[in-house]
Amino acid sequence: MGSLEVAALSKQFASGPPALKDVSFRYEGSGAIGYLGPNGAGKTTTLKLLVGLLRPSAGRAYVNGIDPMERRKAALWDVGALIETPEPYPTLNVHEALDAVGRVRGLSRDEVDREIDRCHELLDLPPLGRRVGWLSKGQRQRVALASTLMGDPTVLLLDEPTSGLDPAERVLVRQLLNGLKRDHLILMSSHQMLEVTEVCDRLIFLHQGRVLLEDRADQVAERIRPRTVDVEFEHAVRADPMTLLRGVASEVILLSERRWRVRFDGSDDARVRLLALCQQAGPVTQFANSTLVLEEAYLELMPKSASGV
Amino acid sequence: MTEAVSGPAASTATRPAQRRRVSDFEQWRIITFHQLGHYLRTNRFYGLFAFAVFVSSLTLAFQLDAGVATVQFQQLYRSSEYLSNYLVYTGLWVVLAAALFGGDALSVDFSTGAGYYMLVLPIRRPVLLAGRYAAATLVTIAVVGTTYAFGAVGASYFFGLRAVPWLLLFESLGVAAVFSLAALSVAFCVSSFIRTPAAGVLFTLVALYVAFTTLEQVVELAQIEPWFSLTYAGGAMAAILDTDFVHVQTIPVGEDQYYYIWSATVIEGLEIMAAYIAVFLPLSAFLYQRKESTG
Repeated sequence: MGSLEVAALSKQFASGPPALKDVSFRYEGSGAIGYLGPNGAGKTTTLKLLVGLLRPSAGRAYVNGIDPMERRKAALWDVGALIETPEPYPTLNVHEALDAVGRVRGLSRDEVDREIDRCHELLDLPPLGRRVGWLSKGQRQRVALASTLMGDPTVLLLDEPTSGLDPAERVLVRQLLNGLKRDHLILMSSHQMLEVTEVCDRLIFLHQGRVLLEDRADQVAERIRPRTVDVEFEHAVRADPMTLLRGVASEVILLSERRWRVRFDGSDDARVRLLALCQQAGPVTQFANSTLVLEEAYLELMPKSASGV
Repeated sequence: MTEAVSGPAASTATRPAQRRRVSDFEQWRIITFHQLGHYLRTNRFYGLFAFAVFVSSLTLAFQLDAGVATVQFQQLYRSSEYLSNYLVYTGLWVVLAAALFGGDALSVDFSTGAGYYMLVLPIRRPVLLAGRYAAATLVTIAVVGTTYAFGAVGASYFFGLRAVPWLLLFESLGVAAVFSLAALSVAFCVSSFIRTPAAGVLFTLVALYVAFTTLEQVVELAQIEPWFSLTYAGGAMAAILDTDFVHVQTIPVGEDQYYYIWSATVIEGLEIMAAYIAVFLPLSAFLYQRKESTG
C-alpha cells in the first residue's frame, strides 16, 4: 500500500517568487489524485521534490514513509515517476531502454521481458527493436510511461501523462490509469480536465505555490454551479434564441440548427426557467452541462489571469 | 490532512512482476552496460575510433614507406624506443576520449530529458556516476588500445615479434588505463558543475590539454617541476618503455647555469594520477549528488 506525504513543503529558487509555499497533504492506499493549477503553480516542483530531484527549502516530502533526500534508493523503490519529458538515450532501442529500468528496479531478465510484454499490451508500444531517437513524440511518451510501470510500482507520480499523445492514445492512457488506480496510488498533474474528471478521485488545486482547495472530486463538483448548458432540440428551431431566452441567458452560441450552448448565472432558478423557455421553442431532447464541471471549478477557483484556460 | 484515498485495493489482480532487492554493485553493473551500449553507438565514438585508426594507419604507412632499415636506425635499433616514441601522443587520445565521453556524462541529466528518465529510478546517484565512469573508462581504453595495437603491429614488423617488450607494453597500457581514470575524473567533475553538455566537453578539452600544457611550459621556464599537471603525469605511459629514461635532463646554458627539463617517472606519474582520481572523483560525486533538476 503506497503513501505520499508532504509536510509544510516549500521551495524557493535562487530568483523569483517561491515556487511552493507551505504545502501539506497526505494520502495512502490507492486511488488517483489530480494535481491542478496553471503553469507555474508548483505542480511539477512538488513532483520533483517527491522524487528528490529538488531539495526542499523548508518542510519534508515522503514517499512510502521515506524521505527521498535521506534514503533515495529506498524511497523510490516502489515509485514510478513520469516528470517533464523523460528521454532515454536516443541510441538505445525501446527494449534496451526499458530493460535498464526494469533491471535497476530488481527484475530478472525473464521478468523484464514479461514486463515489457505487459507494457506493450497496455500501451501499444512501438517496435521494441526501434531506436528511441527514431520514435515520434507520442511513441517516446508511451515508452516513458512504460518505464514508470516497469516492475509495477505501487506509487505513480505522473506529470501531464498524456502530453504529446494523440486523442486515441489519450483514451488508452485514461483507461489504463482508471485500471491502475484500483491498486495504485497515483498523483497526477494535468491540464486536461477530461482526463482529471475521468480518472481522479481527489483533487488538489494549486495556485502560486499554495493549495487553494483539496477535496474529493465529487465534492468539488457539488460546490460548483455549472454556468453553461448545451440544449438539443428534436427539430431545427426557428426562434431567435436571445429573444426567447432574454433575461436568463447571458450568451447563446448556435452549435447547429438543433443545438445551442447557453451561458447563464448558474443558479438553480435560472436553470429551471431556461429549461422551460427552451421547451417553449420546441421539444428538448437534451439539456445538460456543456463544459466539464471540473473545468468550471478550475476557472472559478483560479484568478482569471492565471487560469490559462 | 491525512487522506485514505480508498481502502484496501479493490483490484485483486496479482502483481505481475516479482522484484527483489538489488545491491548497489548490481545496479552499478547494469548502468555500466547500459551506458556502454549508448557510448558504443554514438557518433562521437565512431568518429574518435575512426580518427584513431586513421592516424595510426597513416603513421604506420609512412614508416613502411621509409623502410625497415630507416625505422630501425631512427629508433636506435630498439623496439622499446620505437614504442616509446610511438606512444608519446597517447595522452592526447586519452584527453580527447575523456572530454568526449566524460565532459557531458553528468550534465546530460540536467540539460536534457535523460535525467528525468534515470534520476527518478531507485538508484543512488554515486552508483549512477560510477556506472557511467566505468563505461567511459572502457570506451576510452578501447580507443587508446587501438593505438597501442597499431604500435605493437609496427614494432613486430620492424623489429620482430620476439623483440617487442610485451610485458612493458602491457604495463604501459595499464598506466594508460590509470591515466584514463584520472582524466575522466576531471571530465566528470567538469560535467557535474557545467550545465551545457557541449560546454562541458569543450571546457574539459581546454582544461586537460591547453591549460595543463601551457602551465607546464610556463613553470618549466621558471625551472619548477610541473608535478601538479596531469598531462605531465601522462608522460609515464611512454616513459615506461624508454630504456634511456632520465627524470631530469640538465642542459648547460652558460657558466654554472643549467636548464632543467623534467619527465615524470612511472611512480611519480601514477601518484599524480591517483591524486587526481582521489580529489576529482569524490568531488564529482558530491556535486552530482547535490545538483537539482531545475530545468
